[in-house]
Amino acid sequence: MISVSPTTANAQALDLANLTEAQTALEIKDLNLYYGSKQALFDVSMKIPKGQVTAFIGPSGCGKSTLLRCINRMNDLVDICRIEGQIDLHGTNIYGRSVDVAALRRRVGMVFQRPNPFPKSIYENVVYGLRLQGIKDRRVLDEAVERSLRGAALWDEVKDRLHDNAFGLSGGQQQRLVIARAIAIEPEVLLLDEPTSALDPISTLVIEELINELKSKYTVVIVTHNMQQAARVSDQTAFMYMGELIEYADTNTLFTTPSLKKTEDYITGRYG
Amino acid sequence: MRNWFKSGAPWIWMTGGAVSISLVAVVGLLVLIAWRGLSFFWPSTVYEFDLEELNGHRHTVIGELYDSQKVSAERILSSGVKLPEQHDEVITRYLLKTGNREYVDLDFRWIMETQIKTKTAPQNIAVFERSTNGNFYGYVEGLLEAGEAVNATDKRAELIKRMERAIALNDQADDLQHGPIGSINYELERLRLKERGLELKGELDEAAKADFEAQRQALHDDYLVLEKELFAFRDQASRDAVIVRDMDGRQVTLPMQKVLDVHFPNDMGFFAKFGHWVHQMAKFVSSDPREANTEGGVFPAIFGTVFMVMLMAVIVTPLGVVAAIYLHEYAKKGPITKMIRIAVINLAGVPSIVYGVFGLGFFVYMVGGSLDQIFYPEALPSPTFGSPGVIWSALTLAILTLPVVIVSTEEGLSRIPSSVRQGSLALGATKAETLWRIIVPMASPAIMTGLILAVARAAGEVAPLMLVGVVKMAPTLPLDGNFPYFHLERKFMHLGFHIYDVGFQSPNVEAARPLVYATAFLLVTVIIGLNMSAISIRNRLREKFRSLDQ
Repeated sequence: MISVSPTTANAQALDLANLTEAQTALEIKDLNLYYGSKQALFDVSMKIPKGQVTAFIGPSGCGKSTLLRCINRMNDLVDICRIEGQIDLHGTNIYGRSVDVAALRRRVGMVFQRPNPFPKSIYENVVYGLRLQGIKDRRVLDEAVERSLRGAALWDEVKDRLHDNAFGLSGGQQQRLVIARAIAIEPEVLLLDEPTSALDPISTLVIEELINELKSKYTVVIVTHNMQQAARVSDQTAFMYMGELIEYADTNTLFTTPSLKKTEDYITGRYG
Repeated sequence: MRNWFKSGAPWIWMTGGAVSISLVAVVGLLVLIAWRGLSFFWPSTVYEFDLEELNGHRHTVIGELYDSQKVSAERILSSGVKLPEQHDEVITRYLLKTGNREYVDLDFRWIMETQIKTKTAPQNIAVFERSTNGNFYGYVEGLLEAGEAVNATDKRAELIKRMERAIALNDQADDLQHGPIGSINYELERLRLKERGLELKGELDEAAKADFEAQRQALHDDYLVLEKELFAFRDQASRDAVIVRDMDGRQVTLPMQKVLDVHFPNDMGFFAKFGHWVHQMAKFVSSDPREANTEGGVFPAIFGTVFMVMLMAVIVTPLGVVAAIYLHEYAKKGPITKMIRIAVINLAGVPSIVYGVFGLGFFVYMVGGSLDQIFYPEALPSPTFGSPGVIWSALTLAILTLPVVIVSTEEGLSRIPSSVRQGSLALGATKAETLWRIIVPMASPAIMTGLILAVARAAGEVAPLMLVGVVKMAPTLPLDGNFPYFHLERKFMHLGFHIYDVGFQSPNVEAARPLVYATAFLLVTVIIGLNMSAISIRNRLREKFRSLDQ
């Protein structure tokens, strides 16, 4: 059994099946996703609570990243991808006909597996999203840079070289820079797609601490194949297998007393 | 032995050998044209030969030794030349450049070693470089000022002083002619066209006519003043003359205003020769051609080449980049896109003369002709854009090099990691914003690579240009001080065509040969220069976007 740290195992676990509208950030309803003729997600329905960290776990190819990428419609980039069902972000369907995808992505930020800074200075990386919105005021940008870099726990390390190329940073710093870039535009939801899989253990630790701080301001959804990490950082955990949502509960319950055999087999390392 | 083969050593030797052969070929080519081209400017010794013909007639020949050949006596006899009774089987003959074109039949002549009695390199032989009729070789006898002999203690110093005075006056006259007088002619032509334009529209009334007449009169008055000045300069320049004794003992009077340079090669030390060499090269690069391009410099050709290539680069880069972006980013991946891509790549294999024919038919006659109909009806029937010109050359070469730019840009686009694209999209950028802010800047080193290849190809291309804009001798550059400064409809000179023209169309083959090498060397230098600057820009861009190496 994996031990769950007392800080994340919050005492009053939410009743995930019956969240009120005010408590819900995202509601996924009967989501089916196909790549061509191959179905990758089967009838996924779940409610993701606001201001908390929700983790998706499961073996490789179970559809957890695919599900995550549905939330900011990154799957639109795949030509052969077809989606049925709906996802409500604070009550509005993001797959609705009149939705502006760029505007949606400003509300739902995303951090990828490998750090992907732009070939620009650290400063320009952080303000990229703001510049896209047409913000030119130097003071506003400066403030946003400091706030975001502090928010990503990177400020003290880079404050003297904001105008150096971002590629001069280490992998862990680059990943925090990418997080800073994502929170600079103040999204409502932050999606993290295996954010530490390309990092060393120390950088991983820094990022995990950061995730804990981020949930005070943002709803965080994280995909990870590292169960310890899910246990350490998340409040809720969803276990997925072969494109289906198998079990979804608060992290404490899921890791200590899973209700299904499949979940138990996976978290005890019997397969996956 | 088997082990030696297994060790891979023969493979290393073979590949290394291939590299060395390529290296030797490149270096050898450069050294050959550099040597043949640059040695032309070195002041060579001028010899005086005492020759005796078979009938006992003796005469003197002065000239530079250009070439020597060993020829069998039989061949010489069979060509009708007589030889003395006793002669060797093989006879050396020498090619002399004797200059003095207006006094001898040919300024290059062959002499047999059997004719030569004495060969000396006397001091005091002067070589005059003249604006017409080529070099003159002889001894300076005296100086004339307005027909009167000048008494000078140091004849050489006096000669050079007076020559420099004449050159300065000639330069002033030339400046006047090309500057203000050229502008007045340009203005007059514009007035004529304006008047004709009004006439065609039927708006030319008496008042306008009078106005044009007044303007024309004003210009004409200006012209008369300038003309007077010009004649004054010319008059002053023609004051002096130099008397030279040539190889036949004749006293020849050379007007000073025709003399461009004088040097005494047999009296020069190494450093003096070196100085002269550098000076001659500088003149070659910076002055206009004379004497049907066989003498003088190649400045208009250098300017034309660089100007046309830059114009081409300005046209081809945006076009190629935009086309590549469409093909790579927007076009649906399917058989049609594939066909288009193959067609584009194959376009690079079409012979360049075909592009020339296309450029002539499409750009010059169709586009240029239509432009003339619409915008310059007053100049018709003489064409403005409807005849070959630098803009059409640049466009034709832009089409010729388009595939190169498209292919390398596409390659650059496909090398950009998709994670960077997604990163930008995830921040709320649209596809277009991602393209312009991230993708195109990151692909810029690849775009520059395409441009480098395009420039290298275009700068060396001659065949299509002969149809769409290059001429043997262009009276004006495509860029001058008259509004609108860039005259893209003008014809231009090109180093590549200059080589062809001097080498194959020249009336004086012997005189032109070293120029062919010198111009070829210059063309290579210009292309290398253009490429180097593009490469340095690319390296700077690579440094900036070095993420691709990760």
